[in-house]
Amino acid sequence: MKKKNISFGNRPKNPLRRRVLKDMLRDWKRYLMISLMLIVTIAFVSGMYVANNSMLNSINKGIEDLRREDGHFRLSKEADEAVIKAVEKGETADVPAFYREKAYKEAAAEVEKSVNEAVEKNVSEQVKEAIKAQVTAAVDEKTAAAKAMGADIPESERESMINSAFETAAAENYDKAYDEALKAARDSEDYKNAISEAMDEAKKEIDKEIDEKYDELSRRYGLDKKSEAVPVRVYPLHYKNAKEQLPARSNYSGTIRVYGQRSDIDLYDLLKGRSPENGNEIIIDRMHADNAKIKVGDTISVENADFEVVGLAAFTDYSSLFENNTDTMFDALTFDIGMTTDEGFQRIQANTCANYAFTYNNKPADKFEEKEMSESVLKALITQTAVSDTEDLEIKDYVPAYANQAMSFAENDIGKDKAMGEILLYILTAVLAFIFAVTISTTLEQEASVIGTLRASGYTRGELLRYYMSAPMLIVVIAAVIGNILGYTVFKNIVADMYYGSYSLPRFETIWTPEAFIRTTMIPIILMLIINVFIITKTLKLSPLRFLRHDLKQKKRKKAIRLPGWKFFRRFRMRVFLQNIPNYIMLFTGITFVMLLISMAVGMPETLSYYQDSLSDMTFADYNVILSSTEDDEGNTITTANKDAERFSVISLDRKSESYNEEVSVYGIFNGSRYVKLDNSDDSSVYVSKAYADKYNVHEGDTITLSEKYEHKEYNWNVCGIYDYTAGIAVFMNSGQFNDFFEKDEDYFSGYMSDTKISDISDKYIAKEITIKDMMKVSEQLDHSMGSYMTYFQYVCFIVAAIILYLLTKIIIEKNERSIAMTKILGYENGEIASIYLIPTAVVVFFSEFLAIYIGYKLMNFFWKLIMMKMSGWFAFIMPVSGFVKEFLLVFAAYLLITVLDFIRIRRIPKVLALKNME
Amino acid sequence: MSNEEKKFLSVNGLKKSFGSGETRQEVLKGLDFTVGKGEFCVLLGPSGSGKSTLLNILGGIDSADEGEISINGDKLAEMDEKSLTRYRRKHLGYVFQMYNLIPNLNVKENIETGAYLSDKPLDIDELLKILGLYEHRHKLPNQLSGGQQQRVSIGRAIVKNPDILLCDEPTGALDYKTSKEILQLIEDVNQKYGNTIIMVTHNEAIKQMADHIIKLRDGNIRHDNINKDKLTAAEIEW
Repeated sequence: MKKKNISFGNRPKNPLRRRVLKDMLRDWKRYLMISLMLIVTIAFVSGMYVANNSMLNSINKGIEDLRREDGHFRLSKEADEAVIKAVEKGETADVPAFYREKAYKEAAAEVEKSVNEAVEKNVSEQVKEAIKAQVTAAVDEKTAAAKAMGADIPESERESMINSAFETAAAENYDKAYDEALKAARDSEDYKNAISEAMDEAKKEIDKEIDEKYDELSRRYGLDKKSEAVPVRVYPLHYKNAKEQLPARSNYSGTIRVYGQRSDIDLYDLLKGRSPENGNEIIIDRMHADNAKIKVGDTISVENADFEVVGLAAFTDYSSLFENNTDTMFDALTFDIGMTTDEGFQRIQANTCANYAFTYNNKPADKFEEKEMSESVLKALITQTAVSDTEDLEIKDYVPAYANQAMSFAENDIGKDKAMGEILLYILTAVLAFIFAVTISTTLEQEASVIGTLRASGYTRGELLRYYMSAPMLIVVIAAVIGNILGYTVFKNIVADMYYGSYSLPRFETIWTPEAFIRTTMIPIILMLIINVFIITKTLKLSPLRFLRHDLKQKKRKKAIRLPGWKFFRRFRMRVFLQNIPNYIMLFTGITFVMLLISMAVGMPETLSYYQDSLSDMTFADYNVILSSTEDDEGNTITTANKDAERFSVISLDRKSESYNEEVSVYGIFNGSRYVKLDNSDDSSVYVSKAYADKYNVHEGDTITLSEKYEHKEYNWNVCGIYDYTAGIAVFMNSGQFNDFFEKDEDYFSGYMSDTKISDISDKYIAKEITIKDMMKVSEQLDHSMGSYMTYFQYVCFIVAAIILYLLTKIIIEKNERSIAMTKILGYENGEIASIYLIPTAVVVFFSEFLAIYIGYKLMNFFWKLIMMKMSGWFAFIMPVSGFVKEFLLVFAAYLLITVLDFIRIRRIPKVLALKNME
Repeated sequence: MSNEEKKFLSVNGLKKSFGSGETRQEVLKGLDFTVGKGEFCVLLGPSGSGKSTLLNILGGIDSADEGEISINGDKLAEMDEKSLTRYRRKHLGYVFQMYNLIPNLNVKENIETGAYLSDKPLDIDELLKILGLYEHRHKLPNQLSGGQQQRVSIGRAIVKNPDILLCDEPTGALDYKTSKEILQLIEDVNQKYGNTIIMVTHNEAIKQMADHIIKLRDGNIRHDNINKDKLTAAEIEW
């Protein structure tokens, strides 16, 4: 058969591509919701990346530009120049040689003295004996002559004559004879030999004693390990810790650490105002000023002196305001850093802390080298202070830069936030990708005939896959582009403001970071691609015929599940439930994700508030005083008249691990203590605090190992019980054990603990006061930094919950649209239909919430522990029953809101839908 | 018509069964027939006779258990999944009882989904005129009558100018008048474009307009005739 006049045209562009936009417009609400969630999350994470990277860049730039120290040390008093010079050279002093020389000198004098005394005594006796012999011979001669002459001289007279002659002769000749004999003795070889032998003996004793002591010292400080000298430059950076008060606010009282003029090391970025120019001016930390509401131009009182605040700065060595490096948390509320002129520094009547910063002459290549170098510097410092001429020169603190929380905490936290934000983005993208995949699966079912026809006509699986992937990919790309633009502009500043609200950071310059783009664009795209390709491909693998027959079930159920003889509506609802199980699994996953977020949003403030409210019950005494010396100037033991006070001993050890060294307070408790009641423990077993046990999963019968901070000495103790103390990482033992372990005297103690304030001990003997207020610093600072955000975060969680529920319940209703239309035709009322299609979902949401709350809580506990493991101290994640109820109500309220929308949607489904062609 | 053209489509010993064991049901029991190039072939038979299964196997969307199908020298049994798709894309057009149109594409765009599959499709505007849909080209499927929708689905199938047009009960869901219009259209298409048309129907009257009539019953060919008294679509009645 011949063809007649056929006109051919051009191959058109793929019409399915045009359909993508139409699909999106037709279902704009769903796409809008998903887009908004993705845009906001990507914007936030992108903003976080840009702000974090820019901040880290400025911090790193500050290390060089603001000449940040590589470490610092504090001594008991100012060191003499020789010590500083020797430390700068990195020389490790030969401590044994120093002490040996000193001991030899002392021994030589002692030996000479002893030998001389012995020689003198010996010579004296010898001279006396010689004189006596001479006079006895003379008297005997006389008495013999007298006897010969017939005289009878009795023995007593003879004795008397001898004595008298001896006294006369001694008075005349002894001194001369003694001197001559002594000279002769001293000149003799015997004398020299005696001196030499005695000295040798003494040296042996000295060497033995010094070697024993130094071996012990070497082991403790690792001095036996040879290391290269690390030359450094040392800068005196003395400070005074003083009371900070604000004349304008009588209820405020804090501590300020004031430095003199900084010009060579640890400089600052002046964020407002100017540097101090005279002794009445000061600049303080910007973060603290914000918290304490101090402005440029205000006056602050530092101990006894008033200063005008002329500038607010970010000091390069204090990006987080840690008063002590061992503090669990920084304290930007009541701790401040200040800098005045040297004249101003003199005005402050407080003890000067002999603090020294140092920088390496040759910078370490990496963290490992830095650690090695810092250990070398410490060795030099230990040995040089030991051999110093300055009496009682001791190291009070040694903090290399890498271990300095004031410098590294903000840096680490910024890094951790980035990782957390990134994980949240990926989880949310995965959840949204699954929602997309479920939506597309529903569409594939609805459009099965069209797909079957297209496949039968010759469309390949790839062409259809690309078409069905277009919408999710387009959405994620658009969300990534808009999100990144918002991230680089708006959200960057939001995140930066959050950091400026917690840390004392210098100004930052926005730097473009490809990492932000890759992680917030490429990874969500890849996630969306993988999840959707996996699920869509699985369906598209079916033959065209199965699409044409609407037979898309992967596994065919041979028989329908038989239901018990329930009432019709109940069975109907059960059928709806059984039909939608995959969607309900997705719904459950979505609710679990939301519950994890809400668990954090609700649990964090609840934990902090619980901690603050219960701290007085958690601690064993409200007030602890650690003494700098237990004896006063007169040598009397320092006592207190406070009847509640009792003595205790404490020492700080380290629990060392690869990632983090935790400081552990080891308490020695006196028998019969009213504050810490220990059952008898044997000599090698100890109690650990509940906080210790919880954090490190320690149980009764376990062995714990703690180490001296700057020494290589380890203690292994068997745990005989868990002591119910949750306010700190601590070990308890009786004072006898304590004294034995740490080689202390029988009556050793470190301070007093009491439930009432101890006010009769002079400040000069107090090294540290620890009150409930100090212990609350951690929770107060966390509350200040994060508490307010958590309330907003709860609202965000409510919105996320509502959106996820909206998207998933929408799918369930869409899947059942034709059935709903048919039930309408059959005469069912909207209320009845809603009860059939909405109640199964409500029941699923209800029960999912219970399970999700539990899973969310467990996950949050896990994440919380991960966070706390990298911080010192411990407090458990607390979620009171009211918190769980709040979580439940938040999600259920979101569901009820969505149910109203679902009901409206059901009402709007037209009856004709049931009678229409599927497509 | 050359000998080769007479055996444009040849089916030898085609067997197909569903299920297994006791529930195994043989739907096609060894069919042998040929269809010539450009022929209008009607597959007749009652429900369950195996005509739709046969059409699906001919269209490469179902497979035979035994036997051989050769279309223009290409053997379907030797083709893998990809080659079959390519084959359908190049040589086959499908028209179903349900129109299976894409709801949010208009008439022209629905036809373009077929045109996209061909390197050298028919002129769409001219085809729309032939289909009587030119005035309706911007309408969405739900704005059309059943007959108009079926015209669109025929347009989608033939726009790529396939060698074979497979029609599965194309008038099954239509009224008498509309059915006749559709049959006339298929007749026009056959005459104008010279496609081989294989139409499955249970309407005995339609056989009168066919060149070739194959009657199936219980999986066997009962009659395989060339219709020498062919009527036009306008002339047939039922």
